[in-house]
Amino acid sequence: MVKTDFLIIGGGPAGLCAAIEASKRNVKTLIVDEGVELGGQLVKQTHKFFGHEGFYASVRGFEIAKRLISELGENVTVMKQTTVTGIYEDVITAYDREKDLVIEIEPKYILISVGASERFIPFENNYLPGVYGAGAVQTLMNQFKVLPGRRVLMIGSGNIGLIVSYQLLQAGAQVAAIVEIADRVGGYQVHADKVKRLGVPILLRHTIKKAIGEEKVEGAVVVQVDENFNMIPGTEKEFAVDVICVAVGLVPSVELAHMAGVKIEYIPELGGYVPYRDSHMRTNIRNIFVAGDLAGIEEATTAMIEGRIAGLAVSQEITGQNLGFELEKMQEELIEFRSGPFSHKVRKGLERFFPQYVRDYSKNSQRDLGPATKLRPIIECYENIPCNPCQTSCPSGAITVPGNINSLPVIDYSKCTSCGICVMKCPGLAIFMVQENYQPGKDLVVIPYEFLPLPEKGETVIALDRDGEEVAQAEILKVVKSANKTHLVYMLVPAGLTQTVRGFRIPQKAHSLVCRCEEVSVEEIEKAIDEGYTDYEELRRYLRIGMGPCGGRTCRVITLGILARKTRKNIKEIGFGTFRPPSMPIKFDSIIKGEIKDEK
Amino acid sequence: MRRIITHPIFNVEKTKTVRFFFEGRELEAFEGETIAAALVANGIDVFGMTEQSRPRGFYCAIGKCSSCLMIVDDVPNVRSCITLVKEGMKVKRQIGRGEITW
Repeated sequence: MVKTDFLIIGGGPAGLCAAIEASKRNVKTLIVDEGVELGGQLVKQTHKFFGHEGFYASVRGFEIAKRLISELGENVTVMKQTTVTGIYEDVITAYDREKDLVIEIEPKYILISVGASERFIPFENNYLPGVYGAGAVQTLMNQFKVLPGRRVLMIGSGNIGLIVSYQLLQAGAQVAAIVEIADRVGGYQVHADKVKRLGVPILLRHTIKKAIGEEKVEGAVVVQVDENFNMIPGTEKEFAVDVICVAVGLVPSVELAHMAGVKIEYIPELGGYVPYRDSHMRTNIRNIFVAGDLAGIEEATTAMIEGRIAGLAVSQEITGQNLGFELEKMQEELIEFRSGPFSHKVRKGLERFFPQYVRDYSKNSQRDLGPATKLRPIIECYENIPCNPCQTSCPSGAITVPGNINSLPVIDYSKCTSCGICVMKCPGLAIFMVQENYQPGKDLVVIPYEFLPLPEKGETVIALDRDGEEVAQAEILKVVKSANKTHLVYMLVPAGLTQTVRGFRIPQKAHSLVCRCEEVSVEEIEKAIDEGYTDYEELRRYLRIGMGPCGGRTCRVITLGILARKTRKNIKEIGFGTFRPPSMPIKFDSIIKGEIKDEK
Repeated sequence: MRRIITHPIFNVEKTKTVRFFFEGRELEAFEGETIAAALVANGIDVFGMTEQSRPRGFYCAIGKCSSCLMIVDDVPNVRSCITLVKEGMKVKRQIGRGEITW
């Protein structure tokens, strides 16, 4: 039997923050977590968070997890790889997978912060391996550094669908398309813009009809829907993909709360069935609290605030300290974060439990694009999302997010020093820098860039517009590397394109294949000849040209032609090599079977 | 190869390798990774079959959906997505619900 003052079930952002608050006040705390490491879903978030500095704005999720874990005090005990399996009247049971042992826990107070699970949707063959929840794709690639496949179809354009698409591209996979059943993108525009300028199409009013494949995903059929979300026959499109990533939302994991006697209500705005709780995160059971996605699907920042509130409320009861001021401060943070238009649903849902308040914010966006000859930021942030690192990072006080954190940023170009810090810091990668007429006939555009390889100074790249379409050739002027991994790429574009160019790609070398089987190009053959391989048989052995399954039927004559041209010989003077059996690939088994038959 | 070698945001740290067995085949994994991650890294996507013979992979990777159940060291219904791979571990595909062990 393990006795503790405060049991926290689930060590994600909410649970960790509750533990930090409790440990600051010497409350004996036990975190039980099912995963292999603490941090919950933070450990697989590689993007920079929105919000303000007090809640790690502009810090990447996995870095936030490390910071939170480092803040846990000595009075916090952690049990990993352990699942709470039951909450009974007198005791709590947990199964430790490492020790293969069920233990009993007797806490005075409990925080259930177990999060949510992936929503699943029905479509034909949706059981096939290769159909993954978006969180699973993140776990694989960002936590364990393994790609689930090469080419992905994303279902859902909420923030998770958009972020995971971007992360897949960063990890080196392709995203064939993002499919969205509604008539507009579900997530933040800044997230959508990030993938759009990389050329990923977002198909609105489309849904997945079926997965193709026998044993695992080999493709997907996508279909258009009408205004009632019915599939329109004849509009099917097929995609060759090996992964279908389902990002259609999350479902709060209410099982433990319900077992404990917590009242569960159906509130679609909060993600479906959710536990009742008051503004201090306390449920209808006196000593049971909830926080994070379990209390309503939202995001990690509000989960952290809710966790702090629960940790403070529990600490207050256990230690008898008055933490009213700290609690009030956190309540105010929640109100601030939830004042924006994207929190409308959450506020509506929470109103079923207790009154909601909002603070005014400004909808005035930066209209003035600034003085043309000055290198200056262009802020493309048009939605009221709770975020202000552009303001707090600006060393000259040029950028302001007036009043509430949900306001849109405005910039005083006369104060701007063109340092580029806001471009590196912006979690939405929505700030660029431009300067017209940097050189005669050339404008300068600065792009925030989070991909490998970084371009080199002087390199020619292809400039892309907001939809990822090619607009011009550009020359890399310089690359400023940043410790936060959002690097700044300065590039020269033809004059007049400062408000068009928002990305670039490094051109892939074009290849004209000679040998289809072994993928050998004209360029490779020419290079080999220059190196001294001037005989067809030598080229074969060196490049494997003509040694594939076709036996050189496609490439032999072309190779001989290149060899003749390069060595200035007549093709008749060059040996054409030998032909060896078998003239097509045959199984050993077939040959052996023939032999055995002969022997009989 | 499905392992990410370089990444623009995080460092890919090399950890100790371990050997484990999948359906009798010896495979390599990294210490600290789950069975599911090790299998996918080795190109294995089919983790088992349902009662009605449908191939099964995993869906959530955080131990919630139970799609990844496998037979590990003769114990069925092990959630391979949240169980760490160990040296010498024997992992098998599970058909249906698996044979109950006590």
